[in-house]
This record gives sequence, C-alpha cells and structure tokens, in this order.
Amino acid sequence: MQRNGSLGADAIIVAGLSKTYQVPEREGGLGAALRSIVRRQYRAVQAVKQIDFTIASGEVVGFLGPNGAGKTTTLKMLAGLLHPSGGSASVLGFTPWERRPDYLRRMTLVMGQRNRLSWDIPAADSFLLNQAIYRIPDDEYRATLAELDELLELAPIIRKPVRNLSLGERMKCELAAALLHRPRVLFLDEPTIGLDITAQARIRGFLQEYNRRTGATILLTSHYMADVTALCERIIMIHHGVLKYDGGLAELSRRIAPFKLIGVALRDGASVDLLRYGTPVAGENGDGKRLVQVPANEVAAITARMLSELPVQDLTIEDPPIEDVIERDFHEE
Amino acid sequence: MLRIYRRFWQVNWAEQWQYRANMIMYLLYWLVSPVVYLAVWSAVASERGSVGGLTANDFITYYLVLLLVDTLTSDITIYLLAFRIQDGTLSGELLRPVHPILTNILMNNLAFKALTFAVLVPIWIGLCLAFRPDFSGVTAGTLLLAVPAIALGFAIAFLLGATITCIAFWTTRVYALNEFYSGLILLFSGQFVPLELMPGPIQQVVLYLPFQLMKYGPVQLILGRLTPEEIARNTALSLFWLAVAALLFRWVWRNGTRRFSAVGA
Repeated sequence: MQRNGSLGADAIIVAGLSKTYQVPEREGGLGAALRSIVRRQYRAVQAVKQIDFTIASGEVVGFLGPNGAGKTTTLKMLAGLLHPSGGSASVLGFTPWERRPDYLRRMTLVMGQRNRLSWDIPAADSFLLNQAIYRIPDDEYRATLAELDELLELAPIIRKPVRNLSLGERMKCELAAALLHRPRVLFLDEPTIGLDITAQARIRGFLQEYNRRTGATILLTSHYMADVTALCERIIMIHHGVLKYDGGLAELSRRIAPFKLIGVALRDGASVDLLRYGTPVAGENGDGKRLVQVPANEVAAITARMLSELPVQDLTIEDPPIEDVIERDFHEE
Repeated sequence: MLRIYRRFWQVNWAEQWQYRANMIMYLLYWLVSPVVYLAVWSAVASERGSVGGLTANDFITYYLVLLLVDTLTSDITIYLLAFRIQDGTLSGELLRPVHPILTNILMNNLAFKALTFAVLVPIWIGLCLAFRPDFSGVTAGTLLLAVPAIALGFAIAFLLGATITCIAFWTTRVYALNEFYSGLILLFSGQFVPLELMPGPIQQVVLYLPFQLMKYGPVQLILGRLTPEEIARNTALSLFWLAVAALLFRWVWRNGTRRFSAVGA
C-alpha cells in the first residue's frame, strides 16, 4: 500500500535465485548410525528454485506460501545471511551476501524474537549498543527513539531486563532495535507471530506508519491474513521453492479464496444439518462453533437465513486461514 | 570504532556481572589443578633439594605467576560462539555491520577476564601468604616487558581459539576438536610442567610452537629467567604466529560464513 507518493527505482531485484541445501540423512537404528560415521549420506534439498521478482522502492509486499515453501530461505539470502546456490540478487544496488557494512547499515531482518537483544540486560542498553554499531548521531538517535516510543509505547518496558518481558513486549523491543538505524529495506519474517490480537494490530499499524513516514521498502511473510490485507497491495507467493503468483492482493483473494467461513454456536446444544447453508468444515474453531464454508458473495444472504431459521447463540464470519487457502489452491492445481 | 568497543564492553560487562556466581564457581574449579601442581612440585623439590635444576621456590613462583598469566591470556571463544553457529542464533550478529568475533566476542572475552582477574587477586594474595614465594627475579623492567608479551599471547590464543570455533561451520563435533586443542595447550604451554622439565628434543620443538607464547614465555619473562636474546626470539615468534593465526582465522571465517545455513533462526 503505497502512501508516500511516487514509487522510486527498484529497491530489490531478484533473478534466477536458487538455494539447495545439503541435508545429512540416515535411517534409524544402530547399524545406520555406525555406517553414517564412516560415510555420511546427503540429500540435496532445493529450497528455492530460480525465482525472479522486482520490488520498487517504497513498496510493501506480502511474501506468502505454505510452510517449507522457501520464504525464509529467500529472506535470509536477501538479508545476506545465506549464500545462494545460483542466480543473483541486488538490494539497494548491493549484493546482499557480500555483507558490506554499507548494505547492513541500510537494511534490517526481523525473525522470531531472539535476534537483536541481549537477554540479560535491559533493551535500552541494547539500543545504545545499536546506536554505536550503526553510527547513529546522538540527536538522530534520540529523535528516532522518541518516534518509536510514540508508536510502540516502549517507555515502560525498556528498563527491564529482556528476559523479564512478555512475548509481546519483547517483540516490540525487537522491532525497535531493528529499526533504530532507520533501514531503507525491511525483511520481516512473521513479525506478529505469537502475539495477541491487540498487539498484532499495533505492530501492523506501526509498520504502516513507518512505511508512510520513511518510504522504506518492506517484504514480509505472515501466517495472518490480516497482516497481509492491512499492509500489502501486492503479493508474491511461492510453493516448493517456485514462484506461483506475483500480483495484486485483491486479485489473489478473488482467485483463490472466493469464500468465507461462517461459525455458528446454537442454543441448548441444538443439532441441525448445516449442509443446507454451505459446505460444513470438519472440526470446530477455538470457541466451539461449527464452521460452514460459503461463497463470499452470498455471505449476507446466508447469514440472514441462519439467523432467522436457527436458534443461533453466536455467529461469526471469518476469512479462511491464509495457509489453508494457499494449501487448497496448490492442491487443486 | 572506539565507541563501538566501549558499548560492547558495557554490555558484556553487565552480562558477566549477571553470572558472577557462576563465574566464581568456575574460577574455583579452574584453580584446583594449578594449585595442586604447585603444591606437589614444590613438595617434591623441597624434599630432594631440586627437580631438574628447579628449586621449590622456582616451582612456587612459576605456578603463582602462571595463575595470573593464564587468566590474562586464555580464550573462551568456543564456549561463547560454537553453539550459536550450530543453532543458528549467530544470524542476529551477522546482520550487524561489524565483525561479531572481533567486536562482541573479543569484548566478552575481555569482560570475563576482568571479572575473573578481580576475583583471583585476593585469592592469589592468600596463596602468596601460604607459600611465601621469593620474587627477587621480578623487576619493573620484566613487568613492563610482560605487558606486550601477554597481549600478544592473548591475541594468538584468541585468534586460534576463534579459528577452532569456526570449524563449527563444518561439523557439529567441534567440541571434540577443542578438547584435543586444549590438550595441546595443557602440555605445550607450560601449564602442566615448566617446559625445561621436558625431554631436550621435545623442548626444542615446543619452544617454537605458539602454545608456550601464551603462558610459559610470559611467565619466564616476568620472573627474569629469559635472556635478552630469548626475549627477542619470543617477540619475533609471537608476531609470526599472530600473522599465521590471523590468516587462518580469516580463511575459516570467510569460508565458514559462506557455508552457514542459519538453521533454526
């Protein structure tokens, strides 16, 4: 979702990028264990196969795909952690895996919750360390920290040792530590994983605002459809290491998820055949509702029918989980 | 750059301080063997007058100075870094625009040293009161010369230790390799016995290896037992081994990070 006027030149250019891991492998059992000492068996796993894409400066792109699709591997290559097996990539004009300090000072990668903060000391001390490492002038550092504090409400938590912070608090501090140097390119791997809804929304809002204020380029992966719909207009999707889709979010939704899930809980445990309303989905959602899949354009009509015909105690309308949608799409191919 | 080192120092010092109880337990454990060597050798020497030409006082002063030198030149990089290469948490540091080993790990080593040294000094004074060493060979000059010798000794130990640690990029069995390397240090650095007690031909070889430059060399220097020629030879050797260690380290680091698969994190 580009909000800061014009898109700049291409920030990220990826061409034929590939990564093959050599994974050691052996059968279970003592014999195999002994044999593997003498001769290790390796299997080549192609995590990323010749993908191409270009991202303009200032764009926010959702990078999607089921588990094991090669998303994280791609992000790690773009952040310079991994050397590719083939192909090329250019980010801000740098080849990432040369890991030139000038490149590392301009980008950031956020993965999980244990990257940039020292466990035993308050986040504020790690921030000061980052100030030195990234050579951030004092006044700029203060201004950025104030801005991050305003967006993430850091003040109450940065004086406590990181080990004593909750997951959400730690994630906020991680993000702040990753952004203190005002990177021009952000690679975010599941930036909201493990957070409650409120915290997710807050981080999302923050990323939106950061992109608006700084015009930074953002490539993010997420399991939460809400992250993607809130932040990205464009989606790049990969599966088994191959690029499957590159285009608008709206078009993708229409193409692969033309349905919604209605969850209903009935009064007094009444049982009713939900087949009349749509395709029942096996299992329940977390709060004991039964799920029915219905076409997106009939949601209003079907919901109205349910409310008038059934002893409804509670009813929700949900987007299908993005992983399910993608998985379903790939299975149907 | 100085500011970067200062901040890394502050962070690592604060971290070490968190683990001070741990550190004291480690120090007590680590003190056992040199103190045992000291007690045994000095007892044997005082009973027989001397061992291999060394008197009881020679042994006492040797091991007491070794305690201090060992703290200053030993390297703990493998314990700080190998597991992070293996579990992928090194990723976080590779994202920073500074060399993780030459900044963070170096400062961590130094912070650990500073704290261990501070705790060791009172214990050391206690040992001096118990064994009553005669330090008449030590002069201001030998102490002054020992400063660069110890710095070089640590630099060599640090870079070799970092090199061994980086083998973790290739194999998960790096600790076994490190055990072997520690064995070499124990034997050939003069930790186990003063090197003059080793058989002649072995001694001649060992004096040219890097290990004695970490402990035996500086200890002898402080005690005033080295001739000016030997001091000059050790300095030249130190510079040579420093260059070798630096090249080895550069090579494993470059090739290791290329292989790094950042598993898990």
